[in-house]
Amino acid sequence: MAGFARSLLDTLFKRRQMEGEMSDELKFHLESRAQDLANSGLSPAEALRQARLEFGGMEGYKEQCREARGTRYWDEGRRSVLYAVRMARKNPGFTALVIVVLALGIGVNASIFSVVNAALLRPLPYREPGQLMTIGETRAQFDVPNPDSSYPDYVDWTRQAQGFESIAGYSGDGATFTGAGAPEMLDVGRVTANFFSALGVKPALGRDFVAADDLTDGPKIVIVSHRFWKEHLGSNANVIGEVLHLDGEGYAIIGVLPSQFEFAPMDSPPVWAPLRPNHDMAARRNLRWMHVIARPKNGVSSAQAFAEMRAITARLALAYPQEDGAVRLQIGTLREQIVGQVRPLLLTLFGAVSLVLLIACANVANLLLSRGTARKREIAVRMALGASRGQLIRQFLTESLLLALAGGALGLLTSPWCVSLMTRGIPKDQLASMPYLSSVHIDPALLAFTFLIAAGTALVFGLAPALDLSRADMNQNLKEEARGSAGSGTSRLRSVLVVAELGLALMLLVGAGLLLKSVAALFHADPGFDTNNLLTFSIGLPSIAYKDDAAALAFEQRFTGQLRSLPGVESVATVSVLPLTGGGNSVRFVVEGRPVEKGHEDECFIRSITADYFKVMKIPLVKGRFFAPTDGSGQNGTPPVRIVNRAFARRYFPNEDALGKRIRFTYSPQNPFVQIIGIVGDENAAQPGAPPAPIIYTFFDQNPDGFFNVAVRTAGDPLSLMGPIRGVLNSDDPELPMIEPQTMEQIIESSPAVFLRRYPSFLIGSFAALALGLALVGLYGVISFSVAQRTREIGIRMALGAVRRDVLRIVLRQGLLLAVGGVGCGVAGGLLLTRFLGSLLYGVRPTDPVTFAAVSALLIAVALIASYVPARRATEVDPIVALRYE
Amino acid sequence: MNPQAELLPGTLDLLILKAASLGPRHGYGILLRIQQISAGAFSIEQGALYPALYRLERQRLLDTEWGVSENNRKAKYYRLTSAGRKRLRQETESWNRLVAAIGVVLGARPEEV
Repeated sequence: MAGFARSLLDTLFKRRQMEGEMSDELKFHLESRAQDLANSGLSPAEALRQARLEFGGMEGYKEQCREARGTRYWDEGRRSVLYAVRMARKNPGFTALVIVVLALGIGVNASIFSVVNAALLRPLPYREPGQLMTIGETRAQFDVPNPDSSYPDYVDWTRQAQGFESIAGYSGDGATFTGAGAPEMLDVGRVTANFFSALGVKPALGRDFVAADDLTDGPKIVIVSHRFWKEHLGSNANVIGEVLHLDGEGYAIIGVLPSQFEFAPMDSPPVWAPLRPNHDMAARRNLRWMHVIARPKNGVSSAQAFAEMRAITARLALAYPQEDGAVRLQIGTLREQIVGQVRPLLLTLFGAVSLVLLIACANVANLLLSRGTARKREIAVRMALGASRGQLIRQFLTESLLLALAGGALGLLTSPWCVSLMTRGIPKDQLASMPYLSSVHIDPALLAFTFLIAAGTALVFGLAPALDLSRADMNQNLKEEARGSAGSGTSRLRSVLVVAELGLALMLLVGAGLLLKSVAALFHADPGFDTNNLLTFSIGLPSIAYKDDAAALAFEQRFTGQLRSLPGVESVATVSVLPLTGGGNSVRFVVEGRPVEKGHEDECFIRSITADYFKVMKIPLVKGRFFAPTDGSGQNGTPPVRIVNRAFARRYFPNEDALGKRIRFTYSPQNPFVQIIGIVGDENAAQPGAPPAPIIYTFFDQNPDGFFNVAVRTAGDPLSLMGPIRGVLNSDDPELPMIEPQTMEQIIESSPAVFLRRYPSFLIGSFAALALGLALVGLYGVISFSVAQRTREIGIRMALGAVRRDVLRIVLRQGLLLAVGGVGCGVAGGLLLTRFLGSLLYGVRPTDPVTFAAVSALLIAVALIASYVPARRATEVDPIVALRYE
Repeated sequence: MNPQAELLPGTLDLLILKAASLGPRHGYGILLRIQQISAGAFSIEQGALYPALYRLERQRLLDTEWGVSENNRKAKYYRLTSAGRKRLRQETESWNRLVAAIGVVLGARPEEV
């Protein structure tokens, strides 16, 4: 084996030299012998002749020498490749076409693979990322995305759990950054001191947080991201110790994170600060607001770690039945949390591009078959000269492999461009949660994948023509060549390939159609409020400047009052959580007169709104009344009141009237029960298309807060009011930024629900268009070819009185048959495959007959158009010429 | 009667190894040496020598180097390696055993059976 390898290496690097040496050696032999013979009296010419005779067949021995040395297979392979290159260069147009088709097929696969590789295969940029787990508490019986935990529970976990190296917490926060320019809202990651060390990440500059930093009265310090350091701190290496102004307070920079650091669950915020929960957050066990990651100790299996956490949870449930009685621990992997949502999307895209590749293969096989007809004579001659079937097949496969590798190389080179084109369609918010997309590049895995699919492709598209050609009967071919026609076997094979192409294209069209319909259904799904002409943004009042609720309420009333007086503004309200933004805050409550076991109270969304909220959103009143300014602040005698939505009334008061009933939130057991004064229509709280969920509305004036969202109903284009509104805010408090201003339409556009459907529908639609184009080219080729072949038949028919329409019908019928065959295959395949789209579809079934019928009709229509061109050509056949043709 | 005998299959390698064991020689020299020692008893197609030489070289039984021939020309010289020497010894022994055994068989008389 080693000998073989050595010989192979020798042959690769020293082949030319060895060939020369062999020639020299044999020449020396001949000349020495001739010299000896001449010395014995022969004439020089006679001596040389005699020497050659004694030596025997020179080329044969050379070949034997090469074989003895182990270079024969190399030489043969090299000859095949050279021959293949010559064949490719002889038909540059054909070669280019094949390479481009293959580059399309392989290129889209390489692109999707590089994304899949970055998202699903490549390890996360942490130390032993496979160990990292996520822990969260939920009261739901099913898994929810990224559940929260409470701080007291977290503290108990860190104290009790033995099997963990570290358990760390994090939470998203925001702060107004006042630097050189206008105030800016920054995302701030709030983390426990052991967060970065749990991930196994060390700051590139400065130090990590230490345990003392966790203390409530610890120093005001931050660690900044590499990007923030570059963009806002001028990549200053001496930045450690400098002060950053956040919410009007100075924070010392103690560290800069490494450039490749990312943390997708929090969209990789620019600034990181110690967690330091405020009093309520730290003390209340049923206030679940933080996320937890954990790393088991080395040698502790994840099953053991799970078991320990479950045991601790069971103990906590016994100790704190009120808070933890109904809580279930949800444990997962960090990777699952990061890529779980996009996995079905990526796998769907992967499936789609493999269909494109199959079509490209069929297309190229078809092209090769069409050329095979022209090559039949060459084959026949080679067979007559003694080439074996095996040698011919090997030759064809070499040619295919060469084409596939060229196509693969081209596809690979264009894939980064293709990926950037694909990621351009992703909304900013979505992109931030998929940081791995920015690290997509050509790596060994991608190279290996591309090479493998290129080789596999070569086998798929190369084998059919190879078998077809080498099967051919030599004599038949030598005779047939004169007429330049293909055997019926070849025609049948080509038709099958076209039907397959059309079928695959139809499957992609169905997929794209179903997703498009889902997107349309999402946009048409009634969110329960008017989404047009609605501008939204958030305001976060820093507690330094706005010390209490009264200050916040005063600002809110002053600010919204000023907005109302702006021309173009119809009405203004605030709300704690905007609709269609994921759901947000929820609350547990009990209904008066319905005793509930501690910890098992019902839970629903809660929204704090100002009086005009329902008018601004155009949410109808079902019963009772809206909040009124006269409901007051709740402190000076006016009792607190609640409004609920219809879903709430239906769920919790199915056979009674919810109006006038009294409820109480469980976090304030001392508080009295509070009356429901109104029932309103359902707004869609979570995301487009989600079913209506129960909501309790509280009155902002009765319990003001420093953070709220402003909803502005405008007369015209909401974005045109951005400037004036910013002006009002600036003149009131220049330190306050307008956080995430966007129209409701923009919120819908960038929501995960829409993104997860529209994005693949756009990509699969592109792939389907590509596939359809390829399939139509294939169909066109086959029909043209068949028209050329049937010229004589058409001529006879016309001579016998057929008119143009008859000829047109004959040809179009063939195209129609192929298209119908394709539709049959495609519908069958589609019915099998679209069920895998299941989780991406909304408001449409995977077997939606309308979609299937529409795309089938589309396919047949374009197939007929593609057949019409060659059909027209057929009608222009001159019978006289056609009959003389042969 | 033809004075030259056909070479038994497989024996060319043995002859080459033996010829090379008498000192480095180029291919033509090895051929001459075999013919000289055997007094022209074998008919060898000269070209057949080279595939055998290449094979033995690849098996590391022969070593090669380029040198200058007696008529002052560049020529490739073959020299027996230690592995080649060992192989020659084994092959010689087994050849002798074979010859002896065949001699005994051929020399057998009816009364000895």
